[in-house]
Amino acid sequence: MSEEFEPNIVGFACNWCSYAGADLAGTSRMKYPPNIRIIRVMCSGRVSPSFVLKAFQMGADGVLITGCHPGDCHYIAGNLKCEKTMETTRKLIDVLGIGEERLRLEWVSASEGSKFADVVTDFTNHIRGLGPILGKSQG
Amino acid sequence: MLRKSHFNIRKFIYDTFDKDAAKVVFEREGIWDCTTCSACLKKCPKGVDTTGIVMGLRSLMVEDGRIPPPIRDALKSIAIHKNPWKISAEERSKWAEGLGVKNISEGADILYYVGCTPAYDARLQKVARAIVEILNRAGVDFGILGNEEGCCGSEIRRMGDVWTFEYLAEENIEIFKKYNVKKIVTTSPHCYNTFKNEYKGANFEVQHYTELVASLIEEGRLSFTHQIDKTVTYHDPCFLGKQNGIFDPPRKVLTSIPGIKLVEMDRARERSLCCEGGGGRMWVESEDSEDRLAKIRVGEAMDVGAQILATSCPFCLLTLEDVVKTGDLEESIKVMDIAELVKEAL
Amino acid sequence: METAEIRIGVYICHCGINIASTVDVDRVRDSISQLPNVIVSRDFKYMCSDPGQELVRRDIKEKGLNRIVVASCSPRMHEPTFRMTIQQAGLNPYCLEMANIREQCSWVHEDREYATAKAVKLVSAAVAKVSLLEPLEEKEVEVRPEALVIGGGIAGIQASLDIADAGFKVYLVEREPSIGGHMAQLDKTFPTLDCSACILTPRMVEVERHPNIELLSYSEVIDVSGYIGNFHVKVRKKPRYIAMDKCTGCGMCAEACRMKGKIISEFDVGMGKRSVPYIPFPYAVPSKYTIDPENCLFITKGKCGKSPACKDACSSDAIDFEQKEEIVELDVGTIVVATGFDLFDAREKPEYGYGLYDNVLSGLEFERLVSSSGPTQGKIVIDDKEPRDVVFVQCVGSRDKSVGNEYCSRVCCMYTAKQAHLIHEKLPDAKLTVFYIDIRAFGKGYEEFYDRVREEGVRYIRGNVSEIIKKGDRLLVMAEDTLLGEPVDIEADLVVLATGIVPRKDVKEVGNLLKISRSPDGFFLESHPKMRPVDTATDGIYLAGCAQGPKDIPDTVAQAKGAASSAMTKMARGKVKVEVTTASVDTFVCRGCGRCVEVCEYGAPNLEEVEPGIFVSQINDSICKGCGACSVVCPSGAISMKHFKNEQILSQIAAVI
Repeated sequence: MSEEFEPNIVGFACNWCSYAGADLAGTSRMKYPPNIRIIRVMCSGRVSPSFVLKAFQMGADGVLITGCHPGDCHYIAGNLKCEKTMETTRKLIDVLGIGEERLRLEWVSASEGSKFADVVTDFTNHIRGLGPILGKSQG
Repeated sequence: MLRKSHFNIRKFIYDTFDKDAAKVVFEREGIWDCTTCSACLKKCPKGVDTTGIVMGLRSLMVEDGRIPPPIRDALKSIAIHKNPWKISAEERSKWAEGLGVKNISEGADILYYVGCTPAYDARLQKVARAIVEILNRAGVDFGILGNEEGCCGSEIRRMGDVWTFEYLAEENIEIFKKYNVKKIVTTSPHCYNTFKNEYKGANFEVQHYTELVASLIEEGRLSFTHQIDKTVTYHDPCFLGKQNGIFDPPRKVLTSIPGIKLVEMDRARERSLCCEGGGGRMWVESEDSEDRLAKIRVGEAMDVGAQILATSCPFCLLTLEDVVKTGDLEESIKVMDIAELVKEAL
Repeated sequence: METAEIRIGVYICHCGINIASTVDVDRVRDSISQLPNVIVSRDFKYMCSDPGQELVRRDIKEKGLNRIVVASCSPRMHEPTFRMTIQQAGLNPYCLEMANIREQCSWVHEDREYATAKAVKLVSAAVAKVSLLEPLEEKEVEVRPEALVIGGGIAGIQASLDIADAGFKVYLVEREPSIGGHMAQLDKTFPTLDCSACILTPRMVEVERHPNIELLSYSEVIDVSGYIGNFHVKVRKKPRYIAMDKCTGCGMCAEACRMKGKIISEFDVGMGKRSVPYIPFPYAVPSKYTIDPENCLFITKGKCGKSPACKDACSSDAIDFEQKEEIVELDVGTIVVATGFDLFDAREKPEYGYGLYDNVLSGLEFERLVSSSGPTQGKIVIDDKEPRDVVFVQCVGSRDKSVGNEYCSRVCCMYTAKQAHLIHEKLPDAKLTVFYIDIRAFGKGYEEFYDRVREEGVRYIRGNVSEIIKKGDRLLVMAEDTLLGEPVDIEADLVVLATGIVPRKDVKEVGNLLKISRSPDGFFLESHPKMRPVDTATDGIYLAGCAQGPKDIPDTVAQAKGAASSAMTKMARGKVKVEVTTASVDTFVCRGCGRCVEVCEYGAPNLEEVEPGIFVSQINDSICKGCGACSVVCPSGAISMKHFKNEQILSQIAAVI
């Protein structure tokens, strides 16, 4: 393995659109960095701030949540609820010194395998660029 | 404007997809023909900001110095005298001499913003004086800015000089703040529109004078002692009517005047026909051979048997009256501002 | 709760070489075998094959496994397979967790080291979660064999007949005095030119005669509660002031009415007049009269001559001014929403002069004018004169952001072509012009019909009409021919506006009543635009016709049959499985704040007063869809999402990093 910083990224994907989008990236054999590990939830609206905090607490360097596009939510508007929850969560992790840019929410539909791969690649590179969360390595 | 001019907004839009917009607009004729009346904008099913595009294209011309001489002169005059009529700013409040109008610096509930044309044009000064008399009669506490009043910038923005517009807007907002102005009443729908919709960061209420007069009548603060036994029709100015939805207050004022019989032209309210006085057209010579819209409009008024063609916009008044004068129609029809009719009936 | 020891079996699939070529399966197997509670860790070439499944079943029995992890492809692929596998071996199907090491690992990564390390983490997370999973019981609820159909246009008629023919009871609720809807108002139908009434009337009569259909006309649904299988519905039957059982439909009351010919006929959209007692149209179903209370002198003023003329004229003593509204309560298993559409009000486009000029008509007004059952018996006359020049304007209120309707109404291009054809047929010398933006002739036989109409001499000009003004006693239509870039002026004696389809005025209230949502265009929202086009997000409620979006008659009938079929499927089985992975409330922890009630799109949680002043949330399993939004907002942590509990997900997070 290289000397380069390899971040740990936790992904939360909703079952109906973005988890299917991630599967499609697989069936289409698209490539993206292996740093992300996806946890399936039924709806992005299920992602509680405590999940995000737990991920950072356990050593994640970034958290990526993917949901259905607005209007496409299987549960009508769970994705929009997630957007709202994550707005405050982002502020919270900023206050905690983690940095709000380590949490990202993206809309990926079941047909957007390539978008999923692009989003993951971009986010991984972004987190790699940010480096480890300050103080973490010393702790 | 397709009917009278070669100007075709769609052609401009399509051509600028893959060509430099400046080049397209430099090579084409007709960009100065648009009156910015917004009839097309209001009807566009796809919500294309046609008027905005015209102003944007004109700004490319202005930036490159490619402007017709009369427009250049008007722009220059605004820079020097703060009005497009090439008259000194020192003479701005001459119209009000002897009327005893309070300066806003003395404090007042309402700022009466006169506007360049009513301040300098002899014909329109009558309208400004009429408004003062109406407000005095109703006991409204108002003041004017006197020589400190500067152009609102509406027309200059439509002629494409967005830079001067922004400068004027900032300066005016500063002045309004200085005198703690909370409410402005304008003579012109053009000033009204720009204050209401184009002054960013403004913190005051704006009314067109017809709105104020209508509410004064409703509150019983104005009463009429004279009859005007005339058949009157009302021409909706584009900037008051179709652009700002003010259709009823002017009509309410007219129908409150004893004796007046209000008749409607076919093209009334949203359907009103532009007089061609907007969008800087007051300063461009018309070169087309077709009939001027103002002429068609006067014809429409006469067709419904109107003895008086009433309006509530300085530009409409000038363009329509010009048709009556040049066409020798003074015996058949008279063009008047609503304020003049109200004053006459007081 | 059982406290039996957790015994996990982990099975790592090679998927031929799909996984094994990128992931070192042996290493994953060995690492995982070290984890606590893992009794068995195996790899196998194809886990989904019979021998693969048999391996799992045997281990469960022989080694007493009670939790299973399969690391293979996406759970979206084979979760149902392996759930059944473990169920066959006597385990609860929810004691399974899958790790997706194919689609989300071996197929998207190339570096074997990284991919293997990631696979270990993914499987560890699955092991962590499976240890905390709880067995869940699958639930079913009964579905009553009765359906409610709201709206008696062609969509509601078709759905009712299909459901009733299958042997289920149908309550068809129609707001107007007669069923038939907009289709009854049309003259001919495009592109085949069948007479609308001729194909609709037999179906209306069938509804009336069908032993399984109970028609509640002149009635409105005012309340809906419950859920799939057991909806409770309240319907308001408005008083007709005429006894249905006595009225023979003879029409003597209408003849005698003192207001005869003075009231605008809704059916003729203002083109004709009627009396206070009225039957909307001659072939109405039910064929009974109704007294219009808003215009009745006796009802509004308490006096109609010496005594109401209709009452005196009725030989069967059917007039009854004492009638009161009645509330009918129904219990149904499924609901079909077929509430139809309104016509765009062309007054919102003042440039066309609709409402100002008598010779500018809406599309529907023209239908009444040209219909042989209409006020002119089908003679096309305006002010007693036959028009010589007729202009049609397309896209009035459709595809138009200036009035807030971005969508295409899908019927206007074709109905305009049909109307032009009808004029051509009756007045061959009339000059016909159609102004259009684009022509959409997408249905079977539509393009052919459009071509036929053009060949008949109808002139199509591409361009939106800018204004219509008066010119003498005629109209001047002004536009730009956008193909030529030239202005066009056309004088006309008649202008027909192709007014589009808009949502019903009360669509919002009806949506709230049924708890179904709407798409941005304002129409009711289907569950999935392609795969579930007749379902709503609420189980047991289905959509038919223009309530869901603009549609022509063939599409409406097809969708109505689809909605009927969906409803019948549920009722035929008599039972429906409800979501197992639902939210549940720990009533001891719940403090009754109501955040869950606010956040739920389906109305599953409800605050119940358990003691005076003490509220506790209760979640109805049959309504809950299992999205988990309530568990996120619950401030006291009282709500947990079965199968996706906080501790289950948190354990996954800890294991995955």
